Amino acid sequence: MENSSIIKIEKLIKRFSVGKSEFTALNDLSLTVERGEFLGLVGPSGSGKTTLLNIIGSLDTPSQGKVTVIDQSIASLSHKQSAKLRNRHIGFIFQTYNLLPVYTVYENVEFALLLQKLSSSVRHKSVMDALEWVGLTDKVKSKPSMLSGGECQRVAIARSMVKRPEIVLADEPTANLDSKNSHHILQTMKDLNKELNTTFIFATHDEKVMKYLNRKISLEDGQIVKDEIIQHSKN
Amino acid sequence: MIRFLIKGILRDRSRSLLPVIVVALGVFLTVFMSGFFKGVMTDMIDMNAKFSSGHVKVVTRAYAENADQAPIDLAILGVSDLKNQLQSAYPDMEWVERIRTGGLLDVPDENGETRGQGPAVGTAIDLLSPESGEVKRMGIQNSIVKGRLPEKPGEALISDDFAEKFSVAVGDEVTLFGSTMNGSMMFHTFVVSGTLRFGNSLIDRGAIFMDLQDAQIALDMEDAASEILGYYKHQPYDDIAAQSLTESFNARYSVESDEFSPLMTRLAEDAGMADYLAIAENMVGLMIFIFVIAMSIVLWNTGLLGALRRYSEFGVRLALGEEKKHIYRTTIYEAILIGIIGSFVGTLLGVALSYRLQTHGWDFSELTGNIGMMMPSVFRAQVTPSMFYIGFIPGVIATVLGNALAGFAIYKRKTARLFHELEV
Repeated sequence: MENSSIIKIEKLIKRFSVGKSEFTALNDLSLTVERGEFLGLVGPSGSGKTTLLNIIGSLDTPSQGKVTVIDQSIASLSHKQSAKLRNRHIGFIFQTYNLLPVYTVYENVEFALLLQKLSSSVRHKSVMDALEWVGLTDKVKSKPSMLSGGECQRVAIARSMVKRPEIVLADEPTANLDSKNSHHILQTMKDLNKELNTTFIFATHDEKVMKYLNRKISLEDGQIVKDEIIQHSKN
Repeated sequence: MIRFLIKGILRDRSRSLLPVIVVALGVFLTVFMSGFFKGVMTDMIDMNAKFSSGHVKVVTRAYAENADQAPIDLAILGVSDLKNQLQSAYPDMEWVERIRTGGLLDVPDENGETRGQGPAVGTAIDLLSPESGEVKRMGIQNSIVKGRLPEKPGEALISDDFAEKFSVAVGDEVTLFGSTMNGSMMFHTFVVSGTLRFGNSLIDRGAIFMDLQDAQIALDMEDAASEILGYYKHQPYDDIAAQSLTESFNARYSVESDEFSPLMTRLAEDAGMADYLAIAENMVGLMIFIFVIAMSIVLWNTGLLGALRRYSEFGVRLALGEEKKHIYRTTIYEAILIGIIGSFVGTLLGVALSYRLQTHGWDFSELTGNIGMMMPSVFRAQVTPSMFYIGFIPGVIATVLGNALAGFAIYKRKTARLFHELEV
């Protein structure tokens, strides 16, 4: 597997207007993420985790500094280019799954591929592959309301992975799951990380996530206070 | 992608069935109320035309100036000749003679002495000729409470209110007192063949309906009549056509210096009718406008709420890489589709109910019985061409505007802020 820098952040500052004053969410933050990392952004609420994920995911732009994601400068992207970057290269996983309730598991996973205008046979193969990764090939016709929370999150993972993105951004993906399902989900993502060399970036408070990470970045008041490489012992 | 979106619309009833029902209901009400208002106003005009003004009316110039007093001394002479000329010059119209007179109606006791007396409003129409359409036009048969239509000269119908008040039974005699065309005293006795109630106090109060020839004999009005009324045979009142007709007739027959020369007036020129027609037209327009605006606000809100409810879905679609423009566009297309289907269904229902009400009517006689205004007791709607498109204004435009407004937020806000607002 080739390891190279996929995200490069230099002196990033993000300010938000709060009434007449300004709030600095990220303050002079610099960071480099290598391809294939399984990285966690940890820290208390308001430390800037979600803001940083939003900027990496081209949902927001920096106030100052430079953010390069897959060789594209986030600040200079148009709406259309941002959408294309998200559609082709970035997957999102949310705390509340956010599956579309009227569509089946298959259709939820297929949606991202429809935007890429792929043929139905290519879409079908990709969707079935993604559902196989998460072990839900027997639930293709089920609606989200018929699934457990763990199954819903596995569908969300399949949806984020079906287009084989280089980066997956996961905001508190285990917050609504019990311990068993959390470990199952995390193991699935870890396997995909190894198999496809996809870069995973988590924003999390959850201690269960920590033991899966190979890098943990602690944020406080919009700054990196600790950047640790975690070595896991092989069983 | 289109198939995917259509699947979503069909499966999510709150996105398809519910908005279609709301739009259809709004459009149905708009279309139906438009037809109902139009029908009621037309019926009210028509009722005035049948009882009083005709679609056009021919009287002498002097009579026209004093029409409020119904002066029979200023009636048209040589009326048969004039009527024949009208029938040959304007064959598309039906021409009828009428006499209006006032007087006292006297009810004698068994000794021939006055038992009761009251003011009477006499109307003489052609009751006895088999070819006469007057009985049908005025709805006399349906208004008879007791007895029957006059079948021979000397019989008359009187108001049921009057008959009740003075205990007049069918077969009794009543005497009409008044003055003849020449100013002499007139008294003429009629046998009551039946009693009438039109459900309108203006007409019912002291009314006596007699045959035209009886009135001509009683009032010394041989070959004379107060007025000749003209009715379009195959169409409702048309003011533009009526104006052209009156202009052509007056240019040919009416002489300004001769007060007994005939003068034709149209329904809109009858006492107060021009104002009434203008008010009716404006009222119908205003009511329809208010209704369209009200339904537009309702449907706008429905569209707005429908799109707001889907903010979470829009957030997911943004995150998966769909462009804001595409989401906005599909929301508008969806609103157009829902608006068109709902408007079509609503228009169909509105026109169907209006048509049913146009042919069968809605009997309000128990409620309108004591109203002094001349208005019909059976309300009918009227199907007009505008009904086929008027519902699409609130149905499509308002629904799309509501969705467009809700979608505007998607388009204008920064993606991250929107993403947060979309509760993702």
